[in-house]
Amino acid sequence: MSATTTRPSTDPATEPAAGGTAPDETRPSPLSAVVRSRAARKLAVLVVIAAVLVPLAHAKWASGSWPGALTVDVSEPLGKASDWIIDNRDSHWIFLYFFGHISNAVIICVRVVYVVLLTLGWAGVTAASTLLAWRVAGVRVAVTTLVSFAVCGLLGMWVPTMQTLALMAVAVTASVVIGGLLGLAGGLSERAFRALRPILDTMQVLPAFAYLLPVVLIFGIGVPGAVLATVIYAAPPMARLTALGLRGADAGVLEAVASLGATWRQRLLSARLPLARKELLLGVNQTIMMALSMAVIASVIGGGGLGDRVYQALSSVDVGKALAAGLPIVLLAVVMDRTTASAGERLGEPPAEDGHRLLRGWPAWAGVGVITVVVALIGRLAGSQTWPTGWAIPIEEPVNQFKDWMVDHLYTGVPVVGGTAEWASDYVKWILDPLREGLQGLPWYAVLLIVATLAWLIGTWATALTATAAMAAIGVLGVWEPSMDTLSQVLAAVFVTLVLGFAIGIAAARSTRLERLLRPVLDVCQTMPQFVYLIPVVALFGVGRAPAAAAAIVYALPAVIRITTQGLRNVDPAALESARSLGATQGQQLRQVQLPLARPALLLAVNQGVVLVLAVVIIGGLVGSGALGYDVVFGLAQGDLATGLVAGAAIVCLGLMLDRVTQPTSRRDRKGA
Amino acid sequence: MATTVVPETPDTPRIPESGERAPVFSVRDLWKVFGPKADRIPGSAEAELSAGELRARTGCTAAVREVSFDVQPGEVFVVMGLSGSGKSTLVRCLTRLIEPTSGTLKIDGEDVLAMDKARLRDLRRHRAAMVFQHFGLLPHRSVLDNVAYGLEIQGVGKAERRAKAAEVVEKVGLTGLERRRPGQLSGGQQQRVGLARALAVDPEVLLFDEPFSALDPLIRRDMQEEVIRLHHEEGRTMVFITHDLSEALRLGDRIMLMRDGGIVQLGTPEEIVGSPADDYVRDFVRDVPREQVLTVRRAMRPATSDEQDGGPALAPGTTVADAIEAVARTGGPARVVDGGRCLGVVDHACLLSVVAGLDGKEVAAA
Repeated sequence: MSATTTRPSTDPATEPAAGGTAPDETRPSPLSAVVRSRAARKLAVLVVIAAVLVPLAHAKWASGSWPGALTVDVSEPLGKASDWIIDNRDSHWIFLYFFGHISNAVIICVRVVYVVLLTLGWAGVTAASTLLAWRVAGVRVAVTTLVSFAVCGLLGMWVPTMQTLALMAVAVTASVVIGGLLGLAGGLSERAFRALRPILDTMQVLPAFAYLLPVVLIFGIGVPGAVLATVIYAAPPMARLTALGLRGADAGVLEAVASLGATWRQRLLSARLPLARKELLLGVNQTIMMALSMAVIASVIGGGGLGDRVYQALSSVDVGKALAAGLPIVLLAVVMDRTTASAGERLGEPPAEDGHRLLRGWPAWAGVGVITVVVALIGRLAGSQTWPTGWAIPIEEPVNQFKDWMVDHLYTGVPVVGGTAEWASDYVKWILDPLREGLQGLPWYAVLLIVATLAWLIGTWATALTATAAMAAIGVLGVWEPSMDTLSQVLAAVFVTLVLGFAIGIAAARSTRLERLLRPVLDVCQTMPQFVYLIPVVALFGVGRAPAAAAAIVYALPAVIRITTQGLRNVDPAALESARSLGATQGQQLRQVQLPLARPALLLAVNQGVVLVLAVVIIGGLVGSGALGYDVVFGLAQGDLATGLVAGAAIVCLGLMLDRVTQPTSRRDRKGA
Repeated sequence: MATTVVPETPDTPRIPESGERAPVFSVRDLWKVFGPKADRIPGSAEAELSAGELRARTGCTAAVREVSFDVQPGEVFVVMGLSGSGKSTLVRCLTRLIEPTSGTLKIDGEDVLAMDKARLRDLRRHRAAMVFQHFGLLPHRSVLDNVAYGLEIQGVGKAERRAKAAEVVEKVGLTGLERRRPGQLSGGQQQRVGLARALAVDPEVLLFDEPFSALDPLIRRDMQEEVIRLHHEEGRTMVFITHDLSEALRLGDRIMLMRDGGIVQLGTPEEIVGSPADDYVRDFVRDVPREQVLTVRRAMRPATSDEQDGGPALAPGTTVADAIEAVARTGGPARVVDGGRCLGVVDHACLLSVVAGLDGKEVAAA
């Protein structure tokens, strides 16, 4: 029953506290002001700690890089472990009776879905998707769906699209079920919520690449691993949103339901879950987007489908092929996002009263089924199950010709602005290289100290400790140098992202017209999987660190712009009005009212920027950005799991550190991270 | 003063229509304390402390302290107090939506605190239904399904509960809006849905927790009249929580005034306004138009022999305001007649002294 007595855990031992405060608070003096400032106090403590530890560290292990004496070589035990797993994969009971069953079940599920999709044929699949979109999201989305599937076929990508779709269907179903159950636990039990929350929060900031290796270690390269990595990556948002939705339910409604004598189950089924249905649907939406993003990346571990085509094309720098496979990914993302998002928007509205009654309720669903079957049959009778080869429009050649033209005309020697290749080399030469040299040259303890300072100033001592420990772990793992390389790429890209993002965000907050122009662009950008951003940048900048940075900036920019604009727009209009009534200029309003009041949003934008940039910089390992991302790819490609796992662990640590250093006090849910 | 005011002794009220029946709710020494080790407070030395001291000393807040009262069948029992006086906690204790810390609580003689989950559920399903300040409607259901919700929880079949719900929807004047969602209704309409939902389960008692505070004044007035009308039609027992004195006076057969979790005064509206128990209550009722609350029973003086059968006759429950009209019209004193017997007379002087607030002192002096 809801009527339990509240028992806060505080002890009543704080008796005279009320009497003894306040008399000396009114005496201002410069010294006490400094002492009272929390930031100053924290800094003072850090200075003391540093004064003790730095000379010690310097005397004992003076070097720019992490001292060899403090590293632990984990590659040998890891190598042994991976060898043991490989040797025992077919014999040990845990593989035979546990992982083996999971793996088989995944394979069977994917196979079944794939066969169903093939049986329906291109006509059936297109009809089913279009009708489904029409039912849940309306005519406009249905048309988008129809066109998107047609384009997938026209590009000659029907089969890989169906492979990706099959993998997605299985992964999303599993993610929604697992995430939903976890979320249910977290939503109903305070203890479960407290246990889950930090894990889910952390999982959300980690780059997708970090999840690949542990999965490969156990399941090997192939579809089961790809599906499981996707599930691990995509289930957390579902769990988070389910838990938050259940917990956020209107207490008044729940009380009213309890007052009518509802049982626990009745309360859950008739009130709590329906009240959380918007969050649940948003969870499904986010899970689908994350699953798509990961399903594509999982091509690196044998996921097949569209991602594999992109991956193959990128490794031979064939932009035409990559684009032909990348476009369907984008279209799938847009269709899925629009469908689930508009379904969510429709939830709040009452059922439509207009229209024929056959267009509502179960008759409509039956109609969808019948039409799909009929269209599928016609398709089969008329021709092939897969897209007719004659209808394909190859775009590889023209795209590659265009790319060659770009290489000839845009890379160098464009009057005044230079060329993209020149920009790239300038960026590397003047920004990335000095930054990397600086970070690698900086004494290791100085880096730790900077991390601790930043994290403590923004958060609590606990965040500072986590961040510093994560940074130290990188050193201990012996990947300090490549990690500093990755860090330099992240920092440079974040800097550019924030400068551009804040500028555009402020402009959009001031001009409604600009915001209206930007909105559809941002919508599309935020739905696209990280992977596809690599295609255009490779076309523009070739391979190396610069294209990775460019992809990262483009990927992170929409989120930063959006958060900045919303933050500035949400500033209390009364505060702004009073400033205006005092005669503040536009600039004064911005500097003295809007920016300070939007500070939480701006901090969040920084945090998001960092997390998103890191994700793409790591994936940049696929287009030659080196460092940790490359180690992971190398580990996968060479079967050298030890190297890959260490790099993966370092990525986790780096992600953890960067998140904690920039973590604002309150978090928000976000899309596509 | 002590001759007319009987605070905290709930057994002498004037109760309409039902003299001898057992009380619906019988509450004795009820405590609700929030905070660490709350169960130790009632009965201990700290129990006597003021709210502020108690909080400083123990970290606990006593939302309801040592409250005793009876709710008689068929009456409208109003619990009135400012925010933080514990009245909302008290009403939630009645069905154990909030678990009381100590005391006894009986409904129709049955101990509520001893009920197991199933019994308690039964109590909430059939015997006491509640109407909430913020409505507590399910946003994803139509008006009709919201009203039928209580029956659905009881396991009533779809057709039956919808028929019953439609009946109640009509009763509260929502006909035509059955298929709307709560979000499409105005505040007053939403509260009508809340009221209908409570009525649909045909409860013995209706509990109202500040049901109209969120509504604007005109709608509030409408809803109050709706409640009065329902009470007249069905005679259902009602416990009504409010912070609005005029609402309390308009609706209540008896009013219990609370402050800091305890009872300040319990009595009929006339007793509260005419004989405030202390300065707090006096302050509270200062702006009440006395002539609209007090009756001639209170204003009359013994009749002299020649007044026994002249002049207009008034019932003892007539308000002073109405009596003024009658007296002004005839110019002479009016008789107060109950069942043919003349209890006394009211003249200009009697009525004016009530309006001027001099009557209480007169009684005290007498």
